[in-house]
Amino acid sequence: MSLAETLSELLPPGTELAFGELALSRSASGVFRARHTQDRDAGALQPIETVRELRELAKNDAAGEYRPLKTAPGLVGGWTTETDCPREFLKRLDAIYPGVFAAACAHAEGRADAVALRATLDRQTGMYRFAGTISDEDARRVVSEVCAAGCLRHVVWPIGVDEAPSPPPRDPGSIPLICLEACTFAVNKARELAKEAFERSQAQAQA
Amino acid sequence: MNVSKPDSALLLLGHGSTENPDSSQPCWDHAEAIEREGLFGSVHCAFWKEEPNLRQIWPMIEESEVYVVPNFISEGYFTRQVLPRELELQGHTTKRGELLVHYCDPVGIHPAMTGLLTKRALEIVDEGVRPEETSLIVVGHGTGLNKKSTEAIKVQVEAIRQSDVPFARVLDAYMEEAPFVADWRELTDTPNVVVVPFFIADGLHSYQDIPVLLGIESEPTAAASQREVFRQNPYRMDGRTLYYSSAIGTDPSLARVILDQVAYFDEHYRT
Repeated sequence: MSLAETLSELLPPGTELAFGELALSRSASGVFRARHTQDRDAGALQPIETVRELRELAKNDAAGEYRPLKTAPGLVGGWTTETDCPREFLKRLDAIYPGVFAAACAHAEGRADAVALRATLDRQTGMYRFAGTISDEDARRVVSEVCAAGCLRHVVWPIGVDEAPSPPPRDPGSIPLICLEACTFAVNKARELAKEAFERSQAQAQA
Repeated sequence: MNVSKPDSALLLLGHGSTENPDSSQPCWDHAEAIEREGLFGSVHCAFWKEEPNLRQIWPMIEESEVYVVPNFISEGYFTRQVLPRELELQGHTTKRGELLVHYCDPVGIHPAMTGLLTKRALEIVDEGVRPEETSLIVVGHGTGLNKKSTEAIKVQVEAIRQSDVPFARVLDAYMEEAPFVADWRELTDTPNVVVVPFFIADGLHSYQDIPVLLGIESEPTAAASQREVFRQNPYRMDGRTLYYSSAIGTDPSLARVILDQVAYFDEHYRT
């Protein structure tokens, strides 16, 4: 079954689903609609009809600041997008949450496994190579300070390669936003913490 | 060259940025242009620093084959190490389960880039400006760490010199290694100078850093998309007329070069 067909099946006519900060719905006649959850009961919303416009909308927050992490909270509201084509609807969702629906499907079907943080860090080269020296304690700080604090995704990946992944939440009323592997922000934070720890140990050795 | 592959996907790879909102835009623009032509079953982008990330892209591809084209300006650290590592590619073609992945050369090294650079240079000068009285500077980042990073520019500069466009001089220059673009006044002796950044996007380097090195701006400005006006060519400086182009990677014709790299793959690497 294609991704668009899976989406159609998850959202049959007359139903609703939550997807991060999006409220998805499908009319009795089969038209798909997405809007911000805060606008679920709003009246006049600006219709957006293209993938390009939605990508632009997701680029900045309400204050005009760039949102490089698309699953960070802070998607702007005040708009609605509608189409009767499931493939087009999926493209529009991907403009807001790139690849997130496909990842949820692939994981649920056993086609995409979580990658442990240590495996991600150990394969880094160049300026990120040092991230692999991070302690377990600092690795947990990455999860709490970057992932939990600044992203809507559920972290499935474990820290150690021998640890079990954390299964995604099962809620029939929503499509889960899952994270199967640490992103560039988490890797960058790991590098930062590893460097700080190294510099502390150097300073102590010299003292 | 015509490319028609309705059963294959096309995947463009970009660097992206966590700081500059314009870095990934050319990639999306070219993907959209190619998608409109309906040549592939689907067209995707993935980025090192943005989403969808390189590691997230495979579940989005539903065709049985995908052509992967790095939207990078040169061969080097990223195209040889980072991208194949993150995508788990080995050699020109990799089998991932049921998916055949064809890894093409980066756009910047295709011979068609020569014509694109010349076109861009001639487009931005005022009517009546003669190439014989004009120097063309192709500017890149440059780094002492990787000789490959300047190779693509040197090849292009030599090809333009050998072409039939009679620029008085054609030069390569760099941000961080000699010859430095900041020395453009000394590097050239013509009344007109055209500077074309050999970059993929109007990001941090081409839009914010190089204008300062040229003397157009006194300090880095906001990102391109956050300013109302792009640049006001020409700039009259020290009795010379300077034209500064947007990054070569933003030229709409680059979509054609992407397709050329797919065709090149089929001709030279496909077994």
